[in-house]
Amino acid sequence: MGSAHSVPAEMRELADRTGFTSEQIEHLHRRFKQLSQDQLTIRKENFDSIPDLEFNPIRGKIVHAFFDKRNLRQESDGLAEEINFEDFLTIMSYFRPIEMNMDEEQLDRFRKEKLKFLFHMYDSDHDGKITLQEYRNVVEELLSGNPHLEKESARSIADGAMMEAASICVGQMGPDQVYEGITFEDFLKMWQGIDIETKMHVRFLNVDTIAHCY
Amino acid sequence: MHPPAASPGPAAPAGAELLRWQWREVQAPCLVAAWILVASLAKIVFHLSRKVTSVVPESCLLILLGLGLGGIVLAVAKKAEYQLEPNMFFLFLLPPIVLDSGYFMPSRLFFDNIGAILTYAVVGTLWNSFATGTALWGLHRAGLMDPGVEAGLMDFLLFGSLISAVDPVAVLAVFEEVHVNETLFIIVFGESLLNDAVTVVLYKVFNSFVELGPAHIHATDYVKGVASFFLVSLGGTAVGLLFAFLLALITRFTKRVRIIEPLFVFLLAYVAYLAAEMVSLSAILAVTFCGICCKKYVEANISQKSRTTVKYTMKTLASSSETIIFMFLGISAVDTSKWTWDTALVLGTLFFILLFRAVGVVLQTYVLNRFRLIPLDRIDQVVMSYGGLRGAVAFALVILLDREKVKAKDYFVATTIVVVFFTVIVQGLTIKPLVTWLKVKRSDHHKPTLNEELHEHAFDHILAAVEDIVGHHGYHYWRDKWEQFDKKYLSQLLMRKSAYRLRDEIWDVYYKLNIRDAISFVDQGGHVLSAAKLALPSMPSRTSMSESSVTNLLRESGSGACLDLQVIDTVRSRRDKEDAAMHHVLRGSLYKPRRRYKASYSRHFISPDKQERQDKEIFRQNMKRRLETFKSTKHNVCSSKSKARLKEKGRKKKNISLTKEAPNGKTHRNVPWQDAAPVLVMVSSEEEESDSSETEKEDDEGIVFVARATDEVLQGKTTHGSLDVCPSPCIIPPSPTLAEKELPWKGDQADLAVYVSSETTKIVPVDMQKAWNQSISSLESIASPPGIESGSQHRRFACPVLEEQPQSASQAMPEQSSCFQFPSHASKSGRSQSDSSPDGPEQQELQPLMATEEQGRMPPTAEARWMMFNRASHL
Repeated sequence: MGSAHSVPAEMRELADRTGFTSEQIEHLHRRFKQLSQDQLTIRKENFDSIPDLEFNPIRGKIVHAFFDKRNLRQESDGLAEEINFEDFLTIMSYFRPIEMNMDEEQLDRFRKEKLKFLFHMYDSDHDGKITLQEYRNVVEELLSGNPHLEKESARSIADGAMMEAASICVGQMGPDQVYEGITFEDFLKMWQGIDIETKMHVRFLNVDTIAHCY
Repeated sequence: MHPPAASPGPAAPAGAELLRWQWREVQAPCLVAAWILVASLAKIVFHLSRKVTSVVPESCLLILLGLGLGGIVLAVAKKAEYQLEPNMFFLFLLPPIVLDSGYFMPSRLFFDNIGAILTYAVVGTLWNSFATGTALWGLHRAGLMDPGVEAGLMDFLLFGSLISAVDPVAVLAVFEEVHVNETLFIIVFGESLLNDAVTVVLYKVFNSFVELGPAHIHATDYVKGVASFFLVSLGGTAVGLLFAFLLALITRFTKRVRIIEPLFVFLLAYVAYLAAEMVSLSAILAVTFCGICCKKYVEANISQKSRTTVKYTMKTLASSSETIIFMFLGISAVDTSKWTWDTALVLGTLFFILLFRAVGVVLQTYVLNRFRLIPLDRIDQVVMSYGGLRGAVAFALVILLDREKVKAKDYFVATTIVVVFFTVIVQGLTIKPLVTWLKVKRSDHHKPTLNEELHEHAFDHILAAVEDIVGHHGYHYWRDKWEQFDKKYLSQLLMRKSAYRLRDEIWDVYYKLNIRDAISFVDQGGHVLSAAKLALPSMPSRTSMSESSVTNLLRESGSGACLDLQVIDTVRSRRDKEDAAMHHVLRGSLYKPRRRYKASYSRHFISPDKQERQDKEIFRQNMKRRLETFKSTKHNVCSSKSKARLKEKGRKKKNISLTKEAPNGKTHRNVPWQDAAPVLVMVSSEEEESDSSETEKEDDEGIVFVARATDEVLQGKTTHGSLDVCPSPCIIPPSPTLAEKELPWKGDQADLAVYVSSETTKIVPVDMQKAWNQSISSLESIASPPGIESGSQHRRFACPVLEEQPQSASQAMPEQSSCFQFPSHASKSGRSQSDSSPDGPEQQELQPLMATEEQGRMPPTAEARWMMFNRASHL
């Protein structure tokens, strides 16, 4: 995208689509080039060059999310090999803070988008459900930072969470009902009352805050 | 005997006195005690009427009471006595309140909003002081004030500095009853705590300026003033951090002196306060930060009992200090000799502090909102402006003024009293309706769910990662870094090894949720046994859980969701707990807790070994029994006890496993043999639970229930399970003992765990109801995890005693592991069957159900939190 990027029209289009200001886009683009080492696309390996990311317990899941086609607003499913700058921006736009002038509807959509992103992160097999196994994986990864907690506890935590999810989402279950996993609707239900829009955001600031290269 | 008192007097020391009037010796402490008693009794009276306290904040009532009492004292003694002395206030009354608010400060929330808090505390207070001071001076210059008010610009600035600071005690007292949303609360409250540094510095600087006289102030003095601000605030914070570090370090080594653990917390915090005060740094900041920072480590180090003690003692101290402060404020106001009224000054001050507070808030919010990701909206700003309550700090500071130097002191005292009364009473009374009227976002006191905690944890990581990827070193980045640092070094250094190992937030929440569920069941009487509840026990409990226990737990968890810093909720119904406990004890429990076994008294130890001993005994009993079972019925199927303790070990939770057997009920006549589908219910103990309910818990630590299914006849061999991991054993159940036949309840004790028969698919024993009642209620009262409902799902083939069984079983069927099913037939059938007598036909009906259940089963985790129903299935 490199050279095309400088064209203002395209920039505006990007800005419209992702909601970033052109300034922010510029900075993100700079960062993008840094990460991709001046290539047009970023591959998974590029993320390895970020030293701070190394200690992140769910690093794999996060990087994965960048290449998840569902998050890239593409029709197809599956994993992308590489992403270009536009995709990069798309992913980043999930982390935009709310704006003051959003109305209810926008806010709702905004919220759903964020949740969708999160949901996709958990739903690693793309079947629209967070199954217990998937949930366990996430929890295990989350807890992997603590070497003293055994896998068993992670597992039971996941089980407990799942059980809780089931009780929140399904309510009273029939005797033979099987709760197979958290669907997106259930996921929304679980997040009711929590202002995700006030939590899931990163400040995309300007020049000086964009970090120095590594 | 002569009446001894009258005659001897001091002149005759020779004769032995029987009684002596020693009022002088005890006067001071006696008065203190009397006042505290009066205040506390008054509190009881206030709370007799729910209506009054729901409308009028307690602080108002206390002030009014103080006014009344002051009037009486004045009338009786003809002079005003017992006033709020600044020394007493700063040295004894203020520290507990500040410590309490610091210690129970939701630290995450606090640091998330630290930017806004600091801005309001520093810039806001500076602005308020200067604006108010200058405006009043202007009023004075305009000749609107009484000529008796002899004050220059410096005096007014001094007055402005003491009158403009928002008071933590007053804010806390009022806002706790209002329940605004947590961001708003933390900002107002944080501001009131942190602005102390500014107030103190401004006060001191202006005071010294006034004392010097305007003529002698040099430019360097202004510079010194600014420098001293940084010194005082940062120094105070540093002292706080230092003591927090010391405190955490000390509690690391208190393992053997548990009894004085709480003392350290109070002592060191107090010493921090005094140390800061001594070098005239901001003592409030010192204690606040000491409290905030030490909490994490201290809580991890000290025992659960100490934690509770610390919590309650702190709350008690803070609450009584607050009570006394407000009451004495009222009493002090009566003393007319101290103050002189000037209408212009009073009204002017009131007007200006309200105005400038509002202006300041609006201006600062405007600037802050450009940086804040969650902007503060208009309504928030209104509440923040209106919530600027003044209190005892201002009063104490104004009393401290030197009349010689500050000539208008009397006027200032009067004004301060009016301002404090106005803000606390008028604003305190109206803020609640205002908040309702403005529809301010209230704090939804919802309980933290495990999912929420997980997601939030994930959030932190995701956001940190995104910041890493974007390359922006923002808040999340630094927090992430801090957490890594904390994990790597600080926690290692400051936490006990055992505590450190298990320190994990998610785990904590999980753990607490389990306890909460357990408690909620006890709250509900512990005997909720409808099919519905069994099917999903945690669900209804969540929804119907009483507020008190929710907040109680929230509080214990120190979670950010609970902001009532002063409130300790009442403990859940004790009777229920006792009922439940008695229930277990009486009903076929094998082990009778000997509560009073240890009669010895020790001042230094709270017989910690009692529990251990019981653990051991129970363990031994269990082992013996199991061995016997194994012996006597060689190929018998034994319920296995899953090795549940894995991680609890470190936590020092004691798992006691009791093998409780289901009563065999009335079947003894026609059913000579009892066939068992062993239902194994393993519940891990919750140390906290047992701790929190002091006595009756010992026997509830962890119980293995083995409910036996009965059947008419048993015949030889059965194969168990479909996917056999274990050899299918055949069972020759021993005949029931005589006792068992005659006294079904007693019989259990001697009985051995498991009998499995060929017909075990008919799960439900005759007396399942009792078994269920018993097991469920006790289970629920102990540690019902959110997941208990899945219990009926964790069904496994019975197999010979294998400690490792859980693992092996789960390995055997990994695929099924990912789905849940919550059937309730086990329970339903249990009920229906038990209602009727043990008849074959009825049991037969259940067979189809059983078959389906096998599909959805989930491998039990090795966790003990799950109920595992070991039931032999019919092949």
